[in-house]
Amino acid sequence: MDGGRVHEAKVTVCNVPGIHARPAAILVQRASLFKADLFLATRGLTVNAKSIMGVMMLAAETGTELTIRGEGPDEREAVEALCSLVASGFGE
Amino acid sequence: MIGMTVAAFYERARERCRLRLLSHSLHSRSRLVCAEINRPQLALTGYMEDFLWDRLQILGRTEVNYLEKLEPRERGKILSQILGFAIPCVVLPRGLQAPEPLVLLASQNEVPLFGTEMETIEFVSEVSAVLEEAFAPATTVHGSLVDVYGVGLLLTGRSAIGKSETALDLVERGHRLVADDIVTIRRRRSAILIGSGNELLRHCMEIRGLGIIDVQSIFGIRAIRGFKRVEVEVKLQEWNADERYERLGLQERETAILGVTIPLVEIPIFPGKNITVIAEAVALNYLVKAYGYHPAARFSDNLLEVIRRKRALSRLAEGDSE
Repeated sequence: MDGGRVHEAKVTVCNVPGIHARPAAILVQRASLFKADLFLATRGLTVNAKSIMGVMMLAAETGTELTIRGEGPDEREAVEALCSLVASGFGE
Repeated sequence: MIGMTVAAFYERARERCRLRLLSHSLHSRSRLVCAEINRPQLALTGYMEDFLWDRLQILGRTEVNYLEKLEPRERGKILSQILGFAIPCVVLPRGLQAPEPLVLLASQNEVPLFGTEMETIEFVSEVSAVLEEAFAPATTVHGSLVDVYGVGLLLTGRSAIGKSETALDLVERGHRLVADDIVTIRRRRSAILIGSGNELLRHCMEIRGLGIIDVQSIFGIRAIRGFKRVEVEVKLQEWNADERYERLGLQERETAILGVTIPLVEIPIFPGKNITVIAEAVALNYLVKAYGYHPAARFSDNLLEVIRRKRALSRLAEGDSE
């Protein structure tokens, strides 16, 4: 609990196949580099961004708006990194 | 979107409540938004002030008999007034014949009308169960749920602390996996928590360094379970020398999920510690307590007894030197 610092941002999934297995793995690997707790939320479902099963469970298709929330020491950096990764379409 | 469409309700309740559609379409102007049902009774006499129109309406024998006694014009008027409300749907139990012109008005007003052969009381209890299931408060928890000796253990802790690995180890020892990583928990009645997995993930789990494995295909049907009551939360934590861990077990810690309190056991982990065996012991200890035996309390009582006896003995021996 680092003073309860929270940062939140919204991003839209733009790669055509959506967040399937490979993008999910890339996202989780990137998320795991940060100390902050990271969450992805859409349609009332919130999952841990460091959990591959959770991210895949979202089954986010292209056009889905994701809310990325970070809590902890490097939350701003982490949320920004994940947002730009999703916005880049995972290089697909 | 809040609530459940009448079509979705029909899908869930059709078999269980033996429903059949009497009006033209399943399309309704309203969704079902709560688990309560209503019998219109007084609304049929024209008193609409407190009419709970947003619930599933049941027209039982009383209502149908009353409607049948009305003059056809009067009946048509009251029915169109009632169906003017955006009622989600109406059900006629015990195979009752729909009073004229109910079927026509229901179709015109987009209020699906169902019939069932069930007795009213029987139907009310079945439909309430279906609705309660659908509207039960639910949450998702990041963790693993395993049935250990019949006790539902919810393993929690930060990402990568070893929840899945512990769950896998438990499965290897003959226990049953309910869900890994994401556990959906629903509250039944007031104090029962039921945990289940996700349809997409099934009984797959991620083991770091290995990837995704399918527990059912590796260990078979005996290694899995569809849902299980959540009885104890086991929280895995990094060993912290400054933290004061429970040493006696006399004071029980608790946690609340959806307002339901369950015991919480916090286990510090460090290399060489066998979490699986401890998790089994947690489950067995829970069972032992459920059968009325509290080992820590018993131990404490025994200790007090030994101290008391020693004191009595030393008093007896006082001044008695041989």
